[in-house]
Amino acid sequence: MIRLLLKRLAQGLVVVFVLQSITFFLVRLLPGNPFLGERKLPEHVMAQLNSLYGLDQSALVQYGNYWKNLLLHGDFGPSLVREGVQVADIIAQAFPVSLELGVLGMLVAVLLGIPAGMFAAYRRNRWPDAFFMLMAMAGICIPSFVIAPLAGLSLGMHVPGLSVAGWDDPLCAVLPALTLGLVNAAYIARLTRGGMVEVLSADFIRTARAKGVRPMRLLFVHALRSGLLPAVSYLGPAFAALITGSFVVETCFQVPGMGLHFVNATTDRDYFLIQGLVFCYGVLIVLANLVVDLVLVALNPQLRSQGAA
Amino acid sequence: MVMVGCREERSSAEKAAAQGILVVGNNQEPLSLDPHKATAVADGKIISALLEGLVRPDARDEACIHPGMAERWEHDAEARVWTFYLREAFWSDGRPVTAQDFVYAYRRILHPEFAGKYAEMLYPLRNAAAYNKGECAWDAVGVSAPDARTLRLEMSGPTPHLLHLLLHFTWFPVPAHAVEAHGGMLDRRSLWARTGHWVGNGAYVLGCHRFNDRLEVVANARYWRAQEVRNRGVRFLPVVNGYTETRMFLDGKMHISNNVPPEMLAVAKARAPQAYCQDAYYCTIFYRLNTRRAPLDDVRVRRALSLAVNRESLVRDVVRGAGRPAYAFTPPGAGYALPAREILSREAAEQEARRLLAEAGFPGGKGFPTLELMTTSRDVQRVMAESLQAMWLKVLGIHVEIRSCEWTAYKAAQQNGDYDLSSSSWSGDFLDPATFVELWRSGGGNNCTGWGSSACDAALQAAASAATAEARLGYLAEAERLMLEAQPIIPLYWSERTYLKSPAVQGWYPLLLDNHPLDAVQLLMPRS
Repeated sequence: MIRLLLKRLAQGLVVVFVLQSITFFLVRLLPGNPFLGERKLPEHVMAQLNSLYGLDQSALVQYGNYWKNLLLHGDFGPSLVREGVQVADIIAQAFPVSLELGVLGMLVAVLLGIPAGMFAAYRRNRWPDAFFMLMAMAGICIPSFVIAPLAGLSLGMHVPGLSVAGWDDPLCAVLPALTLGLVNAAYIARLTRGGMVEVLSADFIRTARAKGVRPMRLLFVHALRSGLLPAVSYLGPAFAALITGSFVVETCFQVPGMGLHFVNATTDRDYFLIQGLVFCYGVLIVLANLVVDLVLVALNPQLRSQGAA
Repeated sequence: MVMVGCREERSSAEKAAAQGILVVGNNQEPLSLDPHKATAVADGKIISALLEGLVRPDARDEACIHPGMAERWEHDAEARVWTFYLREAFWSDGRPVTAQDFVYAYRRILHPEFAGKYAEMLYPLRNAAAYNKGECAWDAVGVSAPDARTLRLEMSGPTPHLLHLLLHFTWFPVPAHAVEAHGGMLDRRSLWARTGHWVGNGAYVLGCHRFNDRLEVVANARYWRAQEVRNRGVRFLPVVNGYTETRMFLDGKMHISNNVPPEMLAVAKARAPQAYCQDAYYCTIFYRLNTRRAPLDDVRVRRALSLAVNRESLVRDVVRGAGRPAYAFTPPGAGYALPAREILSREAAEQEARRLLAEAGFPGGKGFPTLELMTTSRDVQRVMAESLQAMWLKVLGIHVEIRSCEWTAYKAAQQNGDYDLSSSSWSGDFLDPATFVELWRSGGGNNCTGWGSSACDAALQAAASAATAEARLGYLAEAERLMLEAQPIIPLYWSERTYLKSPAVQGWYPLLLDNHPLDAVQLLMPRS
């Protein structure tokens, strides 16, 4: 297990390094620069700004300086658009918001998706199966930029306590979490159903049924462990994506999370902020996948034996 | 559910009103509150609440300017040399506001090593442009403080409209002692303008600031008119999305929204008829034509494209009435008489457009190359581009392709001249036609069309040195007439601001520049 952990961590470091490097050069290939505004800056002002932030140096020198600052000083650098603000400060303010929203969204997704998928698999090819899978398909097909305003208009404006948008009350998290959760619940329901259908048709389940095991015990004790494997594989990256924010949901509900910064930093060419956000996202993806790997090993004895071998 | 049912039913805006806090939509997250680094309109609105310049605006009439930090002023006959006498006023940390603070501020924004993005706003000062480009010493710039309460400004030419310029945040003072305490004059990463370090002389001081959530300012007890400030603070909400903002207003989340998008106008009018506002705005929506590229280098083609546009239909059907059709560039206002032009009937205009295109060698659009119309990715811009595309196809028989770009790529292409036609807008920084007409100086940074004319430049130069205000406006009108004849742009409409304002808000009046003194706004207390 420890060997697997170390191997995955080493792979994760490589992934984050490659991700950062590709991002560094790609964003500099985008047209424009961080100092472009509504009005054109005089050339001497643009030159001074580029010099101040070292953007007048070659991309390779900038790349070296970036890693030096990050590794030696733990410094993500300054925001080039919000001058005077450090990237770390922006992330420190936005990440807890996205984390809270992501955890709530994931709870909604898991609590809706897994039971729906289990029930659909258990009642395979009957009306509950058709109903839940139709709902799941709708959840996958209807984009969050449709669900979010509809939730705001139908629930936010009519249910006391709920809010159409904003982040000034604990209940403001309900609708964005619901929107995030519904989309992910749909995927989880379909994956759970697929996994469970496969397991429920396995020989050991037939044997258990023949031995008179009660349906609930059959489902939760015998089938669920293996049936959840596809959904668990999905949960890791999905969780990382959720806690790093969703631009659409954050825009529709005016949530001050990471998603807004992610898209705005790219359109504003805020190079250091993009790097900082990608770094966070990369690290979270690696960690989430690591946790998923460990959970899969715990759930699946075959993987354990492969790891031991 | 019981918990939900027991919750207080007052909306956020009502709760804020009960505390004397005005909640306003402010369009976007402020990028900087340092008046020497800020450029965005949203930043300017907050800075105007936090800092006060030599003069201050009126809440009802933009032509009327009140004494601010200066209690009186005088100028010579030419309006070239101005002397301002400062009142006894204090920064929020108790230090006196002095003329040296103004000198320090102007030196800072103009300093060649500081790279002030809006330094050009101070170029009317004598030698300011040369100093900003590192071509002369600071002593040569027309700013001096003979004593702590006297500020002398020498302009490079007659500047009768200087008081209007002074309302712009680039002319506000900064607390020299606070800036020096946080890295000094040239430190762009200075923290003096951040929460916890802020020092100002305006009606408010900076309170809490959470990125993309809110920025709050609270009444400044040391403000010289503190007794006249009619609320206890202002909460700015940086809501970019107009749909979200309109929903938030309708749900009682704010007192004044920033913008109702055209698609939501009908809903807003129906749901909140008493709150709906539509005010004239000092802003022109137009298309730039790249005159460096054929066939747009031919004035006949440019005029044909302009004549073929049905502006009335555009305003009625695309922006749903939130504007006025524009046949000139500068919006009406500020005592400026637009250059007189004959406006043809729709049929006559279309006929003339076809004639001009045929004369340019493209009868019925035959042989006309496919041009590219560049727009931003905003919904209204795309719809507008599609409607003009259809108009040109129908009237002239030519096909124009639409290129929708994200904002920075769009600005980069526009400023580098990498486009055929480009959707554009321009809003005035101050209430004077020069803020629009100066755009068309040959080689000007914001011209971006490749067009220039010595006659237009001469008229602009004459305006800059005109002896009287009337003569100055006449020269500006002449410059605009020359530009419109050459048609490097297609004026489309003069924008109007559509927004929602709670009936509880008192003291907020339509203003062309949308530069509302928030200290004059009062909230009627919600009924308990």
